[in-house]
Amino acid sequence: MSRDSYITLITSLPYAGELFSVSQTPISRIQLEARLSFLTPEDATQLQAIEGLLWWSSHSHETSDAEIAVETKRLLAELKNEWLRQLIRQRMEFRTLVAALRRRRRGASAPDLNADWGFGRWLGVIYRNWSEPGFSLERVFPWVLEANRLVREEDHLGLERLLLGEQWRALDQQGEGHYFDFEAVVAYVLKWGIMDRWSSYHGEGAVRRFENVLDDAVGEYAQMFA
Amino acid sequence: MNEFVMALGWVGIYGPMALGAIGSVIGCALAGQAAIGAMIETESGHGRYVGISAMPSSQVIYGIVVMFTLNRAVTPEAAAGMFGIGLLCGLALMFSAIYQGRSCAAAINAAKAKPEIFGLSLAPAAIVEGFAVFAFVFALVLSADLPGVK
Repeated sequence: MSRDSYITLITSLPYAGELFSVSQTPISRIQLEARLSFLTPEDATQLQAIEGLLWWSSHSHETSDAEIAVETKRLLAELKNEWLRQLIRQRMEFRTLVAALRRRRRGASAPDLNADWGFGRWLGVIYRNWSEPGFSLERVFPWVLEANRLVREEDHLGLERLLLGEQWRALDQQGEGHYFDFEAVVAYVLKWGIMDRWSSYHGEGAVRRFENVLDDAVGEYAQMFA
Repeated sequence: MNEFVMALGWVGIYGPMALGAIGSVIGCALAGQAAIGAMIETESGHGRYVGISAMPSSQVIYGIVVMFTLNRAVTPEAAAGMFGIGLLCGLALMFSAIYQGRSCAAAINAAKAKPEIFGLSLAPAAIVEGFAVFAFVFALVLSADLPGVK
């Protein structure tokens, strides 16, 4: 697909807008899939592989860290586009850091350097600075101290907001200079995934569901405590 | 040698039109693709998207005018000048049409997301048009000094 062939596809996608100001994605997944049918089979396969690796929903609970690390290396070896490779590397390093924060919160010790628990350049730094609040990576990841605080306080929603916001910002940065090309399509689809995830969090719905579950669980015993 | 110089003269005559046409073809196609994409996404304003996508067609018109201005008896004295003016004007028109097409595509994409910036988003395309007009006007001015006006 020539570079100019992406123009129709990109202009057919609605403006992504600002992450936290939207209550739903600007386009449904079905419509997005229909628009993505403009892609060549090769581009569609690449996009599918990238989505498959970077979206948690595409991994089952049984998928181990080691398997994801192997899959990442395989995809990086397969991709020729340096922008895409860089995108994957950065996202996996981001995930590795968040995983380290969560592991430490659970009381785990520094993971073995030989174990395939994460990915990227910072595994050694994280290992050596396990006791530091931000693993001495504040300069590379300025958000790490804030994330560490949110992990410690178990502010899950705040942490999710911070992480999704950082991923969104990183995609904005990486997408600079890419307007009508495959990179712009990938950035849009990944942003759509972030929006989809954020818009699926529904506070009132969660409370309602909790109450329903509680009512079902208590059931006939409810009268006993009335 | 004279034959070669004379051939260059003919290139100079037809060059602005041909190169302008190539530029307009590419520019209109780029902007047209954006217009089609925007039409898929939006419910209204389709006419203006198509209108913007026609902007890069002006370069071929400039090219035709320059071609007629340069069209004269091809002599060894005039051929080199005709070649220089015609070819360089044609290249300027061609590149301006291509890049105007890209500007128009970006304008369509932006105006689709934010209709209120429709007019302003066309400013880069208009500036590019201005450079094409420079190339066109000064080709006319310089061609008046070439020998052998019909």
